[in-house]
Amino acid sequence: MKDFAIFWGCTIPARFPFLEKSTRMVLEGFDLPYRDLDGFTCCPEKSLVNNVDHGLWVLTAARNIALLDKAQVDLVSPCTGCASNLATVNSELHMNHKDKERVNKILKEVGLEFKGKSKLRHLVPFFHDEVGIPKIKNKIVKPLSGMRVAIHYGCHMIRPSHALKNDDPLDPRKFDNLIKAMGAESVQYMTKMLCCGQGLDRVDQHENALHFARLKLKELKAMNVDAMALCCPSCYLQFDNNQFLMEKEGEKFGIPILYFTELMGLAMGYKPEELGIDSHRIDANGFMEKWERLNRELTKTEEITRAMEAGFGIAQP
Amino acid sequence: MESLNLKLLEVCSRCGACYHICPSCLNLPDYDPRAVIKDILAGKYEKWLDHKSIYQCLECHHCLEICFQHYGFENAMAAMRTVASKKGMTPPQVKRGWDMFIKTSRLGEPMASARKKLNLPEAAKSGAEDFKKMVKIYQEEKTAGTKE
Repeated sequence: MKDFAIFWGCTIPARFPFLEKSTRMVLEGFDLPYRDLDGFTCCPEKSLVNNVDHGLWVLTAARNIALLDKAQVDLVSPCTGCASNLATVNSELHMNHKDKERVNKILKEVGLEFKGKSKLRHLVPFFHDEVGIPKIKNKIVKPLSGMRVAIHYGCHMIRPSHALKNDDPLDPRKFDNLIKAMGAESVQYMTKMLCCGQGLDRVDQHENALHFARLKLKELKAMNVDAMALCCPSCYLQFDNNQFLMEKEGEKFGIPILYFTELMGLAMGYKPEELGIDSHRIDANGFMEKWERLNRELTKTEEITRAMEAGFGIAQP
Repeated sequence: MESLNLKLLEVCSRCGACYHICPSCLNLPDYDPRAVIKDILAGKYEKWLDHKSIYQCLECHHCLEICFQHYGFENAMAAMRTVASKKGMTPPQVKRGWDMFIKTSRLGEPMASARKKLNLPEAAKSGAEDFKKMVKIYQEEKTAGTKE
């Protein structure tokens, strides 16, 4: 596997450093060749920068990609927005040579050149395609058996598909496959592919943002799932923080929001506190308690099975 | 607006297939992108520039994915937001985010104390200096381009 730089983006280090913690623990647990690269800026965030100045949006993303070209490494990001924005600009510049020349004329002034030779991937499809399910299954010491997990993909993990080319943009499977490999059930639900709606919080439409969060959380509460799984800091903000705000106002959902790397870390045997799960605003104790209980029951069943096999089971003709 | 393909938008104004998948069309009662598009085509788009609708496109790209023109009305909404920002009609939060981006190259700085507590390594250096240099060149070229 080629070395890769990890692109943390702005939100994870600035607001949710515990998500960086679990990501590093999982990457190290799998002994993956990742590194931190100096010089990155905001990816930049599309709905903010592109709406004001498309040219600067392209240029800034091209500069980040040029840093990868210079270091000759690929990129993996635990943020869907970063992965999608970088891949979109990458594809735009590969299609349009005039723009590429214009961008490179400016990048030359800061000692860089956009070649666009690095693979730009989101962490979830990267784990699915590059690490692979068999290797993941080998690393699991404490499966999430019996746990009912509702996946929220996050729009920009898979769309726009012409740029990301990593899964079906309307009916994706890779995150589901990973959750199943950890031993959990991936619960199918009506609002599964609905956008989180966090973007509305960034344009002074907080009530509308809450309306979107509510749509999904209400369904998941009715379905009695154990947790929602996602891998995007913006979606995480929407479902953890905004759920907390709504609960403070009296609405009750109680849906723990777990990052892909947190679930993976738990299945690999790390403790919730080590992974930083105690930093969440919506506590995940209910999830942990059920999981521990199921594990104890499972161990008991296994013990009985083993005893039966060792004893009269084998002795039978 | 010069970046919009009006021929494709004209088809958009009569299609609306994406209304069945667009999260805002499905869940926000007053959101009606075709009304905006029809006004763009009629040259009467000004009234939408300070309207909340143009910020309700979540850029989820669902419309783009199912659009038989591979266009989607997200393009129209993005163009409207660009015009609004040029006229200084951006929502305050967007303005704050933009200012921070231009000033620091990022939308937030790593939390040093929390990193220490979590035993995380020191954060990698940002590219703020080179970014500022690059933005300056870009803006000078842009101004020169408008004068020509």
